[in-house]
Amino acid sequence: MAFEIPKTLYSGKIKEVTLGKGNKAITVGGETSYPFYLFEGKMPNLPRIAMEVWDCPPQEWAETALEPFAGVTDDPVAWAKKCLDDYGAEMIALQLVSTDPNGLDRGADEAAAVVKQVADAIDVPLIVWGTSDNDKDTEVLRKVAEICQGKNLIIGPVQEGDHKRIGASAIAYQHTVVASTPIDINLAKQLNILLGNLGVADEQLVIDPTVSGIGYGIEYAYSVMERMRMAGLTQQDEKLQFPIICNIAKEVWKTKETKISMEEEPTLGNAEKRGILMEAISATVLLLAGADVLIMRHPEAINLVREMIAELTAS
Amino acid sequence: MILIAESINIMSKTLGPAMRERNPKPIEEMARAEAEAGADYLDINIGPARKMGDELMEWMVNTVQAVTDLPLSLDTTNPVAMEAGLRVCQSKALVNSVSLQPDRLAAELPLVKKYSASMIGLLWGKEGMPRDANERCLHTVDLVYQANEMGIPNEDIWIDPIVSPVSVEINQVKSCIEFMSMLGEIAPGCKSTVGLSNISNGTPTQLRPQLNRTYLVMLMKYGLHSAIVDVFDSELVKIARGEMPEIVSLVHRMMDGDKPDLASLTPKEVEYAKTVRVLNGESLYSHSWLKI
Repeated sequence: MAFEIPKTLYSGKIKEVTLGKGNKAITVGGETSYPFYLFEGKMPNLPRIAMEVWDCPPQEWAETALEPFAGVTDDPVAWAKKCLDDYGAEMIALQLVSTDPNGLDRGADEAAAVVKQVADAIDVPLIVWGTSDNDKDTEVLRKVAEICQGKNLIIGPVQEGDHKRIGASAIAYQHTVVASTPIDINLAKQLNILLGNLGVADEQLVIDPTVSGIGYGIEYAYSVMERMRMAGLTQQDEKLQFPIICNIAKEVWKTKETKISMEEEPTLGNAEKRGILMEAISATVLLLAGADVLIMRHPEAINLVREMIAELTAS
Repeated sequence: MILIAESINIMSKTLGPAMRERNPKPIEEMARAEAEAGADYLDINIGPARKMGDELMEWMVNTVQAVTDLPLSLDTTNPVAMEAGLRVCQSKALVNSVSLQPDRLAAELPLVKKYSASMIGLLWGKEGMPRDANERCLHTVDLVYQANEMGIPNEDIWIDPIVSPVSVEINQVKSCIEFMSMLGEIAPGCKSTVGLSNISNGTPTQLRPQLNRTYLVMLMKYGLHSAIVDVFDSELVKIARGEMPEIVSLVHRMMDGDKPDLASLTPKEVEYAKTVRVLNGESLYSHSWLKI
C-alpha cells in the first residue's frame, strides 16, 4: 500500500478584512490552512507589511534604524511619503508616541490633526496606533475616528478597558479596529465577542495578540497565535477567525541588542546587521505563526521578509 | 459522592482573623452552616502555619468538634500542626495532603499510619505539576507504593489528580479527566478527590458555579469518590446526591461523543452542554462562553 501523507482536516476559514479605501485598499485574511501550508489549503491574500512612522522625532532609536529616514523624522507626512516613494510601502502604521501621558502627552486634537494630514497625503491603508493607555487612547482615537470619517483607518490598540467607546466611534465613522489583548487566547476570544456584541462587523476587526521579539518571549506570542489558528481553522471557532496584526518593530528595536555598538559588545558582531536581522527574523517567526499584517521599521529587514514570503509561496 | 466543605480557610476575610484571634464564634457558625448545607467532611485549612501552627490546629479541631460530629480533613503543610490536629480528632481524619516531595513523604506518611487516618495523595511530583495523564499515573504508582510500604492500605488513600483552571491550560483540564478514567486500573481500591473550585479560578465570580458543577459531573463519569467543594452551591450538592439524573446523563452522553441539538434542550441543559464543550476542549474558553 502506498504511503499517504497525513493531512490536517480544516473546518474553518479566516475571515477576509479589507483595510483602507480606494484602489490601494488591501484585503488580508482568507486563509484555509495553517500559514504557508499551501499543500493543504489556500492563502488567497499574502501577508502584508506596514511601515512604521512616528508622530514625533524618535529620541532613542538605533543609528541603524534612523539612517534610512534621515531628514524626515520630524515630519510625519514627509516620513510616510518617503516610505511609499523610496521603499515601496504598501501600508503605513502611524505610532502616536507623542500622546503618551508619561511622555509628551500631546492633546487629542493636535494628535488627530497630524493623523488627518498623513491620511490625506497617502493613498495606502493607514494604521493608527495609540499608547495602550485606556483613557488617553479613548480621547485620541475617538477624535481620530471622527475627523478621518470614512477612510477605513485601522485603529488600535482597542482593549477591554476602552473597547466600548473606541469601538462605538469606529462603527460610527467606518473604521477597522485592532482588538488587543495581553498574550492570552481566552482573553482574545472574549474581546472579539465583546466587540461583536457592540456591533463591530466581522469585516472590521483584526486581532493584535501582543507580540515581542526574539530573545524577549516571542515563543509565547507564537504559541498564542498558533492556537488561534488551530481554533479558527480546525475547531470552527468563529470568534478567532480574524486576521492577525503584529506590531513588532518597536518591540525589536527597543532591545539592548539592537542598540549597543560593536565597540561596547564585540561578541555581538556588526551592529547594523544585527538590528536588521533581529527584526527580519522576529517578523519571519510571526509569519510562520499566522501574522497577516506586520508593522516593521527597517527597509532592509522588510526586503528580507518580502523575499521570504515570495519564496514560501513560490509554486 | 463524599463532599468535603472548603470554606473554613485561613484565607477567608472573616475566618482568617478569627483564627488568629482565637475567636471561636465565626468558626463555629461556619462549621454549623457547612454541616447543614450537606457536607460529609469539613476541611480545616490553616495554611503553612509556621508559627504556633500546632496550637492553632488543635484549637481549630476542638472548636469545630464542639459543634459537629462530622469527620475532618486537616489541611496544612506544617507536619507538627498536622500531628497536633490528628491527636485530638475524634473520628477518622483525612490528612490533606501528602505529595511526592521527599520531605513531605517522610513527615506525613508516618502520621497517617500512626493515627490510622486517611490521606489525600496529591499528585504533585518532585518537579511540580504533572504534565499529562501519564505522569499522573506514574506519580500514583509511586505514591501508593510508598504509602503501602508504610502500612497504609489503598482504601485509605484518596488520590488527587490536581485540577487546574480552565482559563490557563485546557490540556490539563482534559488530562485530569483522562487520568480519572485510568485510576481504577492503576490503583485498585484507592479512592479519589479533587479541589473542584480550582477549575473556575480566574473566571467571573457569578459564573464559577456552572464550571464547578459541570466539571464535577464529568469527573463523576469515572467514579470520582469525593470532592472538596463550595458546599453552599445547592445545585452542586443536588448533583452529588444523585438528584439531577437528566443533567448527569446529558453530560455523560456528550462525553461519549453525542452532539445534542441545543434547540431541543431546556435552558439549564443548554448551560451544561455549552460548558461541557468548553471543558472537553471542543470550544475555547472565554468569559462569555454561555452567551455564544
